[in-house]
Amino acid sequence: MAAATSSQKITVRKFQVHSNFERFAYLFMRMSGVGLLILAVGHMLIQHVLNSSANLTIEFVAAQWNSWGWKVYDILLLWLAIPHGINGLRNILEDYIHNPTTVKLINRLLALFVVATVIWATIGMALFDASKFQ
Amino acid sequence: MSSLILTIRESLRYRGRSGHVSWMAHRVSGIAILTFLVIHVWDTANAHFWPQAYAWSVAFFKYPLVAVGELVIMAAVLYHAFNGIRITILDFKPEWWMHQQRSATIVWAIFLVLFIPIAIYMFSGIVGHCSELAAHGSTCWQIPPFSDFAKYAN
Ligand code: HEM
Repeated sequence: MAAATSSQKITVRKFQVHSNFERFAYLFMRMSGVGLLILAVGHMLIQHVLNSSANLTIEFVAAQWNSWGWKVYDILLLWLAIPHGINGLRNILEDYIHNPTTVKLINRLLALFVVATVIWATIGMALFDASKFQ
Repeated sequence: MSSLILTIRESLRYRGRSGHVSWMAHRVSGIAILTFLVIHVWDTANAHFWPQAYAWSVAFFKYPLVAVGELVIMAAVLYHAFNGIRITILDFKPEWWMHQQRSATIVWAIFLVLFIPIAIYMFSGIVGHCSELAAHGSTCWQIPPFSDFAKYAN
């Protein structure tokens, strides 16, 4: 299966990952990472450097979430960051936990947690009524 | 579990070079961001579901120790982002692995150049907030009472 090519002192081995899900998860970590470079780093710089967190209030949040542009930005960030972070946690846990039954249970709980968190927070942001705080 | 303890002990003892340090920093920063993010997301959803709790929490986030924690998360996001891009580039361009050590150094350099001024700026913000409260005879070391935000109760 493995084809090896050598360029100078570097040996490159290419092989096909068998499980489709693992392959997807591997690609998702990298693609979402590129998205998060813009969205997550942007979020940190905008919220904590350009706007100081020292004057953060619910009224300030309401002024921002008065526009659908900011709501969509934050919802996209949520959709990328939670699955990326929880899948990263799954990778780490699988390095240290080897019992297949435990791994399966943890994976189910983590999947449930991703779905619950993403749905709950998306509804919260989408339904947030800025006019109540102005 | 025993393999986790073994990993932590050996990670600290192992005299690996830049690759080992980068791997540990990426892992630790990822977990730090995730821990904060889960709290942050459920807290932020409260802006809609339970505004009083949310209004209280953003006030509580100005407590100096929490604000310093925010600074740590800023460092974690910046390092993790730049190192994540490095991992991605090297994964798709394995021929470039001969530059892995230099690329790790470049990531640390970009991180420091960005983070140091941001850290100074954010830290002076915390100090400014505290001295402003002190000038009014108040203190930033007091956790705001939940009842102060009763007007947001739904
Ligand atoms: C800001 C831009 C980000 C980029 C470019 C990025 C990139 C990456 C990449 C490429 C990996 C895979 C590493 C590997 O498989 O060896 C990874 C792992 C990880 N990421 Fe991110 N990430 C970003 C943001 C985040 C955020 C916001 C979180 C937290 C919610 C996070 C948490 C994690 C965790 C826990 C891991 C697993 C670490 C490990 O396996 O050792 N990352 N990141």
